Amino acid sequence: MPETTQFAGMGSDASSDSSLQANTVLQRRYKILGVLGGGGMGTVYQARDLNFPDVRKLVAVKEMLNPTTDPALHSSTLKTFQREANILATLNHPAIPKIFDFFDQNDRVYLVMEYINGSDLETLLSKTKELPIEKIIEWSIDLCDVVEYLHTQQKPIVFRDMKPSNIMIDSFGKIRLIDFGIAKIFDSGVKKHTMIGTEGYCAPEQYKGDVTTLSDVYSLGATLHHVLTRKDPRLEPPFSFSERPIQDFNPQAPDRLVSVVEKALEFEPAKRYQTCAEMKGDLEKLRYQPQNIVQSANNAKAGLAAGTDFFEDMGNAGSVEPKWKFPTEDEIRCTPTSYKELAFVGSYDTNVWAVKLETGEFVWKYATHGGIASSPIIDEGNKLIMFGSEDNSFYALDYRNGRISWSYSTQDKVRGTPRMAPDVDAVFFGSDDGHLYALGAPNGRFLWKYQLGEAVRSRPFVTNEVVIVGSDSGEIFGLGLDGKRKWSYRTRRAVTSSPCVDMTEGMCYIGSGDNFVYALDATSGYSSWRFRTQGPVISTPAVQDDLLYFGSADGILYAINAQTAREKWKFQTEKPIISSPIVHNGGVYFGGTDEYFYCIDAVSGKERWKFKANGAITSTASVANDVILFGSLDKTLYALPLVG
Amino acid sequence: MDLFRRLFSQTNTKEDGISVETPIQKDNVTAPMESPTAPLMEAPAIATASVSESPAPIPDGATRPLPPETVISSSNEHLTFGQATDVGMVRTNNQDAMLSFLSTSRSSDQRPDFGLFIVADGMGGHHDGEKASALTAHIVASYITNNVYLPMLDNDNDSDRVPITEAMIAAVQKANGDIIVKVPDGGTTCTAVAVVGDLAYVAHVGDTRVYLITKDGAEQITRDHSLVQRLIELGQLTPDEAAVHPQKNVLYRALGQSENLEVDALTRRLPPNSKVMICSDGLWNMISESEIIDITLKHSNPQEACDKLVALANTHGGMDNITAVLLQIPSN
Repeated sequence: MPETTQFAGMGSDASSDSSLQANTVLQRRYKILGVLGGGGMGTVYQARDLNFPDVRKLVAVKEMLNPTTDPALHSSTLKTFQREANILATLNHPAIPKIFDFFDQNDRVYLVMEYINGSDLETLLSKTKELPIEKIIEWSIDLCDVVEYLHTQQKPIVFRDMKPSNIMIDSFGKIRLIDFGIAKIFDSGVKKHTMIGTEGYCAPEQYKGDVTTLSDVYSLGATLHHVLTRKDPRLEPPFSFSERPIQDFNPQAPDRLVSVVEKALEFEPAKRYQTCAEMKGDLEKLRYQPQNIVQSANNAKAGLAAGTDFFEDMGNAGSVEPKWKFPTEDEIRCTPTSYKELAFVGSYDTNVWAVKLETGEFVWKYATHGGIASSPIIDEGNKLIMFGSEDNSFYALDYRNGRISWSYSTQDKVRGTPRMAPDVDAVFFGSDDGHLYALGAPNGRFLWKYQLGEAVRSRPFVTNEVVIVGSDSGEIFGLGLDGKRKWSYRTRRAVTSSPCVDMTEGMCYIGSGDNFVYALDATSGYSSWRFRTQGPVISTPAVQDDLLYFGSADGILYAINAQTAREKWKFQTEKPIISSPIVHNGGVYFGGTDEYFYCIDAVSGKERWKFKANGAITSTASVANDVILFGSLDKTLYALPLVG
Repeated sequence: MDLFRRLFSQTNTKEDGISVETPIQKDNVTAPMESPTAPLMEAPAIATASVSESPAPIPDGATRPLPPETVISSSNEHLTFGQATDVGMVRTNNQDAMLSFLSTSRSSDQRPDFGLFIVADGMGGHHDGEKASALTAHIVASYITNNVYLPMLDNDNDSDRVPITEAMIAAVQKANGDIIVKVPDGGTTCTAVAVVGDLAYVAHVGDTRVYLITKDGAEQITRDHSLVQRLIELGQLTPDEAAVHPQKNVLYRALGQSENLEVDALTRRLPPNSKVMICSDGLWNMISESEIIDITLKHSNPQEACDKLVALANTHGGMDNITAVLLQIPSN
């Protein structure tokens, strides 16, 4: 069995046995001069028509092998060929080469056509770096015109094989369609051996055998997409054009041209242009109107801005109104928490505040001697609220009345948020003195501390084997519950983000100032993958249903697949995202330094609503009963109703 | 939660200890395993016998598995694996390449087992296919050993090492670059699985598959880069239509195709006692998923399971080269 393998885009596969020697004369009339190219189904020769002895009249001769050995089938295939050739011979369009003659000889059939002096579009793409947009629009219009001509024949002709290599640009710069599907008569379509590369331009329904004029519309779109982006669809997953937005590769492409191509490439035939005439009409609107093109691009941007204003109006119009607001006396940089009927938040006014969750009424406050950046946490068992202060101390208060239970002094500011491990009744927190501390929760008894080199602002995560925490040194540490180092992993910048551990998968996800988010095995510290953003990742990731959500200083909230690190969607905001997202009821909630608090659909990445605060939001939100709590640099603690 | 996992897995061990014994005893009474290179004419007959439910008589002097207790205790502590490859019934040369590497150790610092398993299915005329797959297996193994395994031995794991899947992607991309230069007319799939402890890191291009097999069934964790798979995903073809589609062998992504190669990568935590199978399309095209589950779960010895799978694929026609690598994940 022959082992022939065809590689798309890797030269011709002209079978060695099909080449006619130069100077061979066919039908005593066509003298072969040389090979023009090897198409998918046969060889095309340049030949001289000897019926014109006084002039050098050149023709193209396409040779196709009739491989069918069964005599009956052989002759029926030949009849089909003759019928198709007759149809082609009657076509009359400037973009369709004239058919002069056809005949069969031995096992081969020959089609004699007008010789076109020029270059096919595929060759042109490989030889140029850029083609002028106006030229591409002109060609597109002419292509639509010729395909429309084929489609509107008494018996409509589907071209079937629109692609750059079947489009010639002649010496006048005009397009000509060169390879009609006629050769396909001789191809069974069965691929016996594994092959790499798909046709790339075919419409999805074509693979089911449903070939209509709308399939040509798709292939035309695919061809234009290739010409504009210079991304060869045969080297990409089939039908993945929408994953390669044209303007990502060709910023010069006007919006309206992009929408024409996108409409032609609609997956459902019913959503495409229903005729090439219609498509041509839209393309013609782009013609000779360079000013309009520029204008339309500007309009699109203006439209976007208007859209944002619209949302802003909606927000102000009260689609989301806080249930209550509680003003503190300085910026809120920490995450609020709640327990039973109380909500708690720390402020740079040095106080931790307790207010009623239902109404936001003041209940108690506790003053330290420094600003509070560390987020308070609740220890239910010991009825404590615990937090650090920039006065270097770590505090544990009775959450019911704010009376101090115990405190512990470190050598520098305590900005890290603590973590309670109820199983061992211990609390873990980092200090700017470069240590991670473990204290007994009931009384603040010192258990151990571990030197991490630089300030520890990251919040530790505790499993029953390991305490994971990041440090400003750029390292991520896995410590045993006894305070002994089990593993560490070095990133290139400070790790302020906190580890998020997926307990079922045993994977730890954490951001770094080096712009990456890392996935580490929680027990060994081996890193599985890292995902690059365009800015430092201070935000702590949140994981749900195999999706990982996090913000970056590049202003984008990312949702990526936790197993493959592949991007699922991203949501662009105007300013860096410092706050960590939380996922609740299919919504992703986070605040931006653009002063908005966002609710995004967790699956689609589409905005559900947003709320404008009066200052940047750098801390994380927390859900309590039917409200979502967050603080802002505008000094206010907000309680928004959870809607939908 | 880790504790839960551990507790959970110990429970499993006990259950398995009991339930596994039956199939092992069954193994004792089945026919001896044919070698994967058994004469083509004989293979089908033996294969049919070995997969049939009726127990064949014990041939005297046949190699028997170790006593059940020994097998269980050894397979519980460390990763074990089996591998088999065969030219099939139609082709004249085997263009599949496989490479397995396993490091198990016991020391006070409790290093996890490290295993690397690669299957590459070559394509291309003359000997290009087998050259491409062989080259790929060696380059990928060399790269991963140098960039993942050796650093694990050398460093006390605190350097800023490249993440494992990133190294695996780079390994496959390196093989791609080398094929384009050294075997310009050849191409190959490549599926590499690195196991570190109970984590599997997979790099994948093409239609060689990785299945994660547990008592609950088999899950294909790789995605075929084939035209028909894409059409199935888009709802244009049913799996049944795809199986007989004239273009079912068309891949849209493989090594040797173009300079820029996108490599799929994923990380999976492997449940205790689960099995991971890597197989070329010569296997999965010939054998149903239920047969794969049946055979892999029935045999506690992964080598026996691989031999049976290959034999069955040959019985069903052996239309292509057949390769199976089966990993048995320990119970703790």
